Amino acid sequence: MEAVEYFEVECPEKTGGDYYSRIADVVLLDHNLIRVVSKLHIFIDPRIPLFIAAGVTRKLPGMVLLRDFADVNIQDRKVIISIGDEAYLAPLLKILWEKYGKDLVEQPDRFTILMNLDEAESQSLPDLPVFDPSDTLYKDLIYALQVIQPEGFKVRRQYYGKGRFYLVASENTLPEDIEDLVKEKFSLMGETL
Amino acid sequence: MILVPVTYKGGIFRHDEIIDLIEDLGGYIIQKHMIAQEVVLQALVPKDDIELIRRVGKPITGDITPSPLVGTEIAVVTPSLEIHHLPHASCDVAEYIRRFGAKTNMVGLARGFGKRISQMNDEERDVINEHDCAVYLLGDFETCIEYKLPALRRGIQVPIVLCGGPSTEALKSLIDPPVDGYVGGIGRFMHRTKESEEIAKLDEVVEEVTRVLDRKREILAKDPLSISPARLMDVISEKIDEIQDVLSPTPITVQMAGLRVKLPYDTFSSRIRATEVDDGITIGELADVLPSRMRDYILLRIKPFSETNQVI
Repeated sequence: MEAVEYFEVECPEKTGGDYYSRIADVVLLDHNLIRVVSKLHIFIDPRIPLFIAAGVTRKLPGMVLLRDFADVNIQDRKVIISIGDEAYLAPLLKILWEKYGKDLVEQPDRFTILMNLDEAESQSLPDLPVFDPSDTLYKDLIYALQVIQPEGFKVRRQYYGKGRFYLVASENTLPEDIEDLVKEKFSLMGETL
Repeated sequence: MILVPVTYKGGIFRHDEIIDLIEDLGGYIIQKHMIAQEVVLQALVPKDDIELIRRVGKPITGDITPSPLVGTEIAVVTPSLEIHHLPHASCDVAEYIRRFGAKTNMVGLARGFGKRISQMNDEERDVINEHDCAVYLLGDFETCIEYKLPALRRGIQVPIVLCGGPSTEALKSLIDPPVDGYVGGIGRFMHRTKESEEIAKLDEVVEEVTRVLDRKREILAKDPLSISPARLMDVISEKIDEIQDVLSPTPITVQMAGLRVKLPYDTFSSRIRATEVDDGITIGELADVLPSRMRDYILLRIKPFSETNQVI
């Protein structure tokens, strides 16, 4: 956990807390998320029982635009998109199909897309936002926290966005003032929710 | 004649000589694995003849080692086998105990997770009771183990070895009434056991299981079984031909005081009961032939001498 700026496991049982700090380390490493998290505070109280994981992420890569991974060639009304990185092809096709309809989006081979568009539309095409990496990243992060949490905590509440994330889990109904408790954990890291 | 559980490892070449020798000496082959060019035999052999088998096996690069758990069936019980909590510590424990000759079955409880919500149903309870011993692998928190164990041990009649994250002493002080064995420092962890300290912990589990089963053997010896389970296995595999068609690795699983026969109960139970062991004595007289809760298998519980008044 050297890569993480702040990492703390708060638990009334010392042995249990130590085990969970090892578990968190192993899981984040296995899920390739150790470089994403900058601060992480885990609170476990088996007596209630309650599990809170709150943290802050590092600066995430921005939105992937069409011009980032493809060449857009415009000749009059004809638009030729040559795909450089196939990883974003599926979300791109989905967007184009939704916007223009499947009949107007031609794909003669894997790496080429042909369309007929107005000049105004084709000019703004290179700046088309295709993929938001932070979205899947936060989902992965929440999934990893679910792996870390004790087994059987089925009542969960989670939040992510603006560089912050948290997961609260218990086997009982969550207390009403749970947000205050989460805010408290954020303040321990010197952050605000 | 005292039979001792051993494992023989050697090449495939002339291994049938070893099998013949063990059987001629009055021993029993419990399980035979053929892995590429290697043969692993788990057997019960007469104590005095171990040296002889070693001598015969030496020229064909065979080695014989004591395996205290051969001829036992052990349940490794874990509160859950959820996919996103893999790898489970119980996988490693079950696999490691097998290396010492035991047949282990993993019992992942349907609703064993959590603290207050943890529970065990009647099928799980009955399946665990069909084994010689149950190894419980619980989590890392003392509070949880103390709270949930009473629910998980309700109705369990076989010896329990409790494993958990807290130290052995902590576990001992938590559990009341006490269980038969404790191994601390092996709770929930999310990685495979590779380091020497972790392997040492697995050795501790094997030691504790061996100790608990030795104590069970001593109790059994006070009122000996009417027939040894290994001999009963031999009789069934000789007289019920269909057992040869069962594809399971152990068509007949040997336990300390019984057998699990992997044939359908409805079709074969009456045939097994009527099978003759010796001089007109049938299996039905020596053992209870019961339906197992595991699939549609047959469970044989051998009656003690005090019930049948005969030892074969």
